[in-house]
Amino acid sequence: MTRLLRNLGVLALERLASLGRASIIWAQSVWGLPRAGDLSLLIRQIYNIGVLSLIIIVLSGFSIGAVIALQFYTQLSRFGAEDAVGLGLALVLLRELGPVVTALLFAGRAGSAVTAEISLMKSTEQLSSMEMMGVDPLHRIVAPRLWAGLICMPILATIFNVVAIYGGMVVAVEWLGSDAGSFWSGMQDAVELWEDVGKGMIKSVIFALVVTWIAVFQGYDSEPTAEGIGLATTRTVVLSSVVVLALDFLLTLGMYGDFK
Amino acid sequence: MHMRTVEISVGVFVLAGILALVVLVVRVSGVSLSRDEGNYLVYAQFDDVAGLRKRAKVSMAGVTVGRVADIAVDTEYGLAVVAMELNSGIGALPIDTGARILTEGILGARYVGLIPGADEETLQAGDYIEDTQGALVLENLIGDLVTRLGAS
Amino acid sequence: MTDETFIEINDLHFSRGARKIFDGVSMRIPKGRITAIMGPSGTGKTTLLRIIGGQVKPDAGEVIVDGQDVCRMSRDELFEMRKHIGMLFQSSALFTDLSVYENVAFPLRVHTRLPEDTIRDLVLMKLNAVGLRGARDLQPSELSGGMARRVALARAIALDPGLLMYDEPFTGQDPIAMGVLVTLIKNLNVALQTTALVVSHDIHETTSIADKLYVIADGQVIAEGSPEALRSDNSARVMQFMHGSPDGPVPFHYPADDLLYDVLGESAA
Repeated sequence: MTRLLRNLGVLALERLASLGRASIIWAQSVWGLPRAGDLSLLIRQIYNIGVLSLIIIVLSGFSIGAVIALQFYTQLSRFGAEDAVGLGLALVLLRELGPVVTALLFAGRAGSAVTAEISLMKSTEQLSSMEMMGVDPLHRIVAPRLWAGLICMPILATIFNVVAIYGGMVVAVEWLGSDAGSFWSGMQDAVELWEDVGKGMIKSVIFALVVTWIAVFQGYDSEPTAEGIGLATTRTVVLSSVVVLALDFLLTLGMYGDFK
Repeated sequence: MHMRTVEISVGVFVLAGILALVVLVVRVSGVSLSRDEGNYLVYAQFDDVAGLRKRAKVSMAGVTVGRVADIAVDTEYGLAVVAMELNSGIGALPIDTGARILTEGILGARYVGLIPGADEETLQAGDYIEDTQGALVLENLIGDLVTRLGAS
Repeated sequence: MTDETFIEINDLHFSRGARKIFDGVSMRIPKGRITAIMGPSGTGKTTLLRIIGGQVKPDAGEVIVDGQDVCRMSRDELFEMRKHIGMLFQSSALFTDLSVYENVAFPLRVHTRLPEDTIRDLVLMKLNAVGLRGARDLQPSELSGGMARRVALARAIALDPGLLMYDEPFTGQDPIAMGVLVTLIKNLNVALQTTALVVSHDIHETTSIADKLYVIADGQVIAEGSPEALRSDNSARVMQFMHGSPDGPVPFHYPADDLLYDVLGESAA
């Protein structure tokens, strides 16, 4: 019994130390003013992280929007309320699925890529050699990726939402025969700019911060071996997913608390 | 990858994001861009606005003519004060227009229904609608019914 | 004739976890010469280079490079000092997202404000010195191991540093590549008049170019001197190392029970 407690204690301290290191790295990366050449570094990272994730986001968005519209329509038509498909779809997407699914897909595609890249740089001593040349790898490698993630994810979530809503519209209106007018007007009546779009964006920004932070840190802190890279990449995806889902629960409670 | 191509695609990416945001704002949440000119606020006091939410519709003869802008409470008299933003398009309403809190369907959302009056004088911005009827709360109705049945 | 000392290490102590890596190490690295640091694998030779470069801080001791104590330097002073140090890593450590040209140009871009034309001239000259001027537009992934190391060398000398550090430059190279590197290291040292520090455990190559040798084992310096002096050294450990004998102070057998006992079991006892 005492052995179990001791192991748990050691584990907890390990995690705390990790968190501490991660926070220091985060602070050191975003501190300090950007310099002239930094913009091109940032742009390249926005390309790697954002532009290259577009395809998966758009495809997933369309499918998810279509599927949800389908399911909602089926259930709502039992109450004769098919006209509410538009508003149900929009609310679910804007408040929950848009930010969350985008974050999960992002962690899987962009997050793991960032972790692998940084981890590989660490194991081939590129980070060390940069340091020896007087260049701070936190500034040159980590910071552009942190900022790029923060910029890209909300953009991707917004695109996801729009594509999903149109995907849902295609299914509901073109295929299932719901009325286009009530699809949109029902949606417009129920969706509020701040409550739904605004708070969804906030969620997305928070997720962006967390996922990118995890991705960058796991790479930076990894063991400089072949297994180390694989382990770090897996950890990024798993940890990001768990944290995003847990955070989503808390944020939803906090933002939309009045459930009674 | 040539830097030029990268830069262009990043620009397109960001632009797509902004466009998507605009779509969300205008098409999905229905925020009208020509908000201000001509819309005016009108107030009404109710004894019970149970279930009425901000941005609920204000309609007359089944046509949406405005939105509930704000719901406040007057603690002195224990009344709810509802501020309604009426669209400029409907012109002026008679000063004896009535306001009722109605329900969409049987269990649906609450909204404010306006019943036009006949007076020549019209409601100005900031005026109070006199003739009001609060929401029909199901529990009160049932309680009412039980009392009546009991009495007979 | 006494050589000036470029690097002075006094009573260096450094531990990693429970392991004592350096236990009171003192060294004098002469200026303008090639000094080799040798020893069995895992004795922390690479760590020593990192300590000299200011990347790792020792637990105790002084490391004085060209008159300044590295351990007490501020960030800005370290940045300044690193302009004058070139390091060749074991894995060449070329930046995989940059071309050969851009890799060599990197230190120039970071530390100077030279115009593009000048940078171009310098990069081409450095690449020419290592014989790879024609490879300037290749990506690191397209280079062989030996070529990558030469490019890394060109990058290390980009700013004409006063100190060049080589981390295991001969490891895993084919004979031709090895020969090229040995020649380059020797020639560059003469041409640039730098101080060179080579960490290696390749006896043959290292002794052919080094002016002074240090042998480190078990956290301490067990021998120092010219290659000839070490070859005739009588200490058992140095002899085992220099001659590559499989058994000696560093035993062949990993500690284990008596052979017969292990194979035949209890009944043999």
